Amino acid sequence: MAAMGSNDLAARLMGDMAPQLLEFLKTRVNSFIKWDLVRFFHENPNTTDTAENIARYAGRDVAIIEGELDELVGAGVLERQRIGDLQVYSLVADVEMRSLVEQFIRACDDRQFRVKAIYHIIRGMR
Amino acid sequence: MERVKTGIKGLDDMLAGGFLAETANLVEGAPGTGKTTLGMQFIYNGITQFNEPGLIMTFEEFPQQYYRDAETFGWDFRGLEQADKLRVIMTSPEVGKSDLERVGGRIEAMAREIGARRILVDSLSHFERLSDDPVVLRGVLFGFINALKREGLTSVLTRESLALIGENSSAEEEIAFVADSYLMLRYVEIESAIRKALLVLKLRGSDHAKDIRQFEVTPSGIEVRSKFEGREGIMSGSPHRMAESFIEAFVRR
Repeated sequence: MAAMGSNDLAARLMGDMAPQLLEFLKTRVNSFIKWDLVRFFHENPNTTDTAENIARYAGRDVAIIEGELDELVGAGVLERQRIGDLQVYSLVADVEMRSLVEQFIRACDDRQFRVKAIYHIIRGMR
Repeated sequence: MERVKTGIKGLDDMLAGGFLAETANLVEGAPGTGKTTLGMQFIYNGITQFNEPGLIMTFEEFPQQYYRDAETFGWDFRGLEQADKLRVIMTSPEVGKSDLERVGGRIEAMAREIGARRILVDSLSHFERLSDDPVVLRGVLFGFINALKREGLTSVLTRESLALIGENSSAEEEIAFVADSYLMLRYVEIESAIRKALLVLKLRGSDHAKDIRQFEVTPSGIEVRSKFEGREGIMSGSPHRMAESFIEAFVRR
């Protein structure tokens, strides 16, 4: 009973964040790699490039990055298009989504928020 | 003939008033000579002095690095982006080139969105990974440069020189033929100190200064100063006094 109580308490504490950011974490930025990628595109909003080059910029393996990029496309954070024979990714132009990304990245400046974000990502991985 | 002033002290004088509009201008030099600084200053001055918005296309340095470097000179690149006067675009040579080749690409859209008239491409050296064949590479660069001109942009294109001091290898000269102008930045050793030299080797369609001038990177940017007096062999990196060369040539046998 006590364990269940403390779990509930932890969940309530960790859920104590702006609803739109909680939803963003649970449904869009639901992995550490996606977190990296969202930060990268926030800092480089005009970047359009292939998965290979984005992996290089992010210092990650392209095999890991590619799937995560496609999931961010599915989540409406990134867009994917073909330029010639190249498949490239870029941050969506949608103002609302860019604003949400900005809010998320700004919130990450706060350690408390980061701890909560990590909690939700790890929970989502189970 | 319309000139695009750099606004860099001493440089427009060397360029007989500035670059020609919608031309591609190569700035080549060793690491640390000031190529990127010159390009950033060209963009910054374009926006703040001549009301000409600009783009920076980078293939390696992150935009954060440009913001930080610009701040050291008192240039607020972030503010200029927020004011829709500047866009810093990080991409790769293959994607940048392909994007410019298509109708309505992102770079074209960005240029039109802010009314860009200038662009810094940093650096052309990264195109070399697209082909080992110099003929193919020249064609790639030619197409890329033409795309920039098509958008009405006057460009500064940086290129890395492998030689810290002294002459380039002949392999690097292909790009010089494609560009409309060619500025060389060099380190020069004089009396155990390193100075910097700038030479306008080529300015297609215009007269230009033929002398080699000293320049410095000051807290407010690059300033081109007077020419090197009384010395020869500046571009070799190890100049000597003219009197010495006379003695070498005519006295010592």
